[in-house]
Amino acid sequence: MMIRINRRQLMMTTVGALALSTLAISTGFAPVQADEKLVTIGIELPLTGADADSATRIKNGAIMAIEEANSKGGVGGYKLAVTVLDSGTSTAGQYDPAQAATNAKKFVADPSVVAIVGPEMSGEGKAMTPILSAANLATVTPSSTNPDITDPKFAGQYKPNGKAIYFRTVTTDAFQGPNMANYMRDTLKVKSVYILDDSGAYGVGISNAFEGQAKKIGMTVMGHDQLDPKEADYTTVITKIKGLNPDAVYYGGVAQAGVKVAKQLHEIFPSVIKAGGDGMVDGGLLSAVGFPAIEGWYCTQASPHVMDDASMTDWVARYTKEFKMTPSDYAITAYDAVQVIADSIKRVSAGGQPVNRDTVRDAIQSANINTLQGPVSFDENGDIVSKVISVFEITHDPKSADDDVQHQYKYIGVAPESPTS
Amino acid sequence: MTYSDVLLQQVINGVSLGAMYSLLALGFTMVYGIIELINFAHFNVFMVGAFFSMWILKLTGLAGEKVILTGLPLAGVLLLALVCVMLFCGVLGVVIERTVLRPLRNVPGTAAMITTIGVSYILFNVILLSQGAAAVNFPNPMPKVQWNVTVGTVLKLREVLLWTIALLLMLGLHFFVRRTRMGKAMQATAQDQEAARMMGIEVDSVVMTTFFLGSALAGAAGLVFGLYYNFASYVIGYTAGLRAFTAAVLGGIGSIPGAMLGGVIIGLIESLGGQLIATRWTDVIIFSILVIVLVFRPTGLFGRMMIRKS
Repeated sequence: MMIRINRRQLMMTTVGALALSTLAISTGFAPVQADEKLVTIGIELPLTGADADSATRIKNGAIMAIEEANSKGGVGGYKLAVTVLDSGTSTAGQYDPAQAATNAKKFVADPSVVAIVGPEMSGEGKAMTPILSAANLATVTPSSTNPDITDPKFAGQYKPNGKAIYFRTVTTDAFQGPNMANYMRDTLKVKSVYILDDSGAYGVGISNAFEGQAKKIGMTVMGHDQLDPKEADYTTVITKIKGLNPDAVYYGGVAQAGVKVAKQLHEIFPSVIKAGGDGMVDGGLLSAVGFPAIEGWYCTQASPHVMDDASMTDWVARYTKEFKMTPSDYAITAYDAVQVIADSIKRVSAGGQPVNRDTVRDAIQSANINTLQGPVSFDENGDIVSKVISVFEITHDPKSADDDVQHQYKYIGVAPESPTS
Repeated sequence: MTYSDVLLQQVINGVSLGAMYSLLALGFTMVYGIIELINFAHFNVFMVGAFFSMWILKLTGLAGEKVILTGLPLAGVLLLALVCVMLFCGVLGVVIERTVLRPLRNVPGTAAMITTIGVSYILFNVILLSQGAAAVNFPNPMPKVQWNVTVGTVLKLREVLLWTIALLLMLGLHFFVRRTRMGKAMQATAQDQEAARMMGIEVDSVVMTTFFLGSALAGAAGLVFGLYYNFASYVIGYTAGLRAFTAAVLGGIGSIPGAMLGGVIIGLIESLGGQLIATRWTDVIIFSILVIVLVFRPTGLFGRMMIRKS
């Protein structure tokens, strides 16, 4: 009897110790050395779940910029530490706004965090901004495009403190949706369209923006349906679409529903023109759907496409070598986001002020620097001043791997800001 | 496509969807019928079955849609996959029963049912952590054959496959339960465990067989799901499971023909509701109909009134 109790106690203590140590490790706080001047940049992305592929490419872009800054001796005398937090949960299967809010609170509670890169998804952004605003902690997002978060109309909800804390190195769906509608009407000669979205904040926002513009420029919108990303079967709504026979289908949303939409659209209604937003730019989606099913999709990115420029070859090569994957356009905007933050820290330090959240936020607001994507500066709401939407078509490159985002999306051009007629 | 074509196509879609739910509901309803246990782990055994059958098919060299087989090689490969996944999932079910549920067999209350929820989460997270959360492409060796029922409506080969497998498994199960010795033992155990034990029936062995069969059916449903939708993902147990559970309850839980009928009804509601109203209302409509049916027939459409033994 005595021996059994002791063994159980031993087991319980071991399990408890293991649990505590895993908990400590998983919070991911970087060790701080007392004699080095250190600030922390947070990275907040849905690294597990259906968005893991795109999130990882973004994370790598940011990490590359931070490593480069540190190897040059830091910025303004400070070394940059990184804390990465994941907003993907198993229940959501993709980004989870509730987890994003928890992550925001963790960053706010850590006094060494002066700025954040992220989030990827607008659903995360909507949950995080009230918390960040209360602490005046700025975040620069490389990919969140829902316009509400920086819209002065909703300032009471998303920046109760009054100051802009959500900065973007991408432009918003206020342009991504409508510019695609212009492109589809002018270049693809689409007259009727059916719209689908995946019920998420980003998907609903971009498809509504698309719908508004489509109606304004004379395209017939035959319907707008919402999909449940957890459901496997969309044959009902796709059959309904086939019965109505539009020229094109526009899908606003991310990979979890996007995979099924692409597969089932190819099975049931392959002749229709298929278009989506930047949620369809994802390596995991390419390999899950496979060729030829995914071929022919038109997608947009809310940033200028610089990756094929001659000046970028070296950067792309370094990225690919270090992370064993090719960069996405938003890896570049993430790199640029870190450059903005690093430049802001440098300016604060050069001005003799202490480097903390408030000074860094103010410096980010007044940023005006040249980055990989071109000159970056923000308006008073935190939106990037240049508004370029790039259009891509998925064209199979058999020489590259199926999930190679750089080579399977062929760059077509810039989507027009207004229709030609 | 004319409008009547669209409606006919939706009916075909609905019946196929329904067959999928029925197949999934079959094993689930059978386990309840024999040992009166709601086995929530059933739907994640189905999900594990989908992944396992994907690996089996990949082992035979198939990848995505790149290899198409016909005739005998196709039948051979599918049969091999079916047998393997049914064996694997059957064994998984027996392992679950032995380790987790046997000690709780005589504990009154809902302890066993809650435990199956726990097992369900374990399976869910094991697959999530090992496979990642993104959907994976399921090898599809079937040729893209389809027949035109009318000018605008098509019936695909994979739909015929789904219906055939669902019907065969239902008939097989029905035959097994009614005609074989073990089946009769299962019926006896369902009626009264104590009396069955007194008559010399090995109740332990009956429960084990029940779990084996139920989980094997879940595995078969996983293979069929993968062949039908061409993808597998760790969440497929969730939503398909919810609809299949509803189908089983609607048809009368414990009744095998009830599961088939309930499945087809739910499938038809889903497709016709989506066509005539909108997809986002599907859940509301399905559950409203379920509630109405249960108010007037608490045991479901084909269910029998069970006399509660105190």
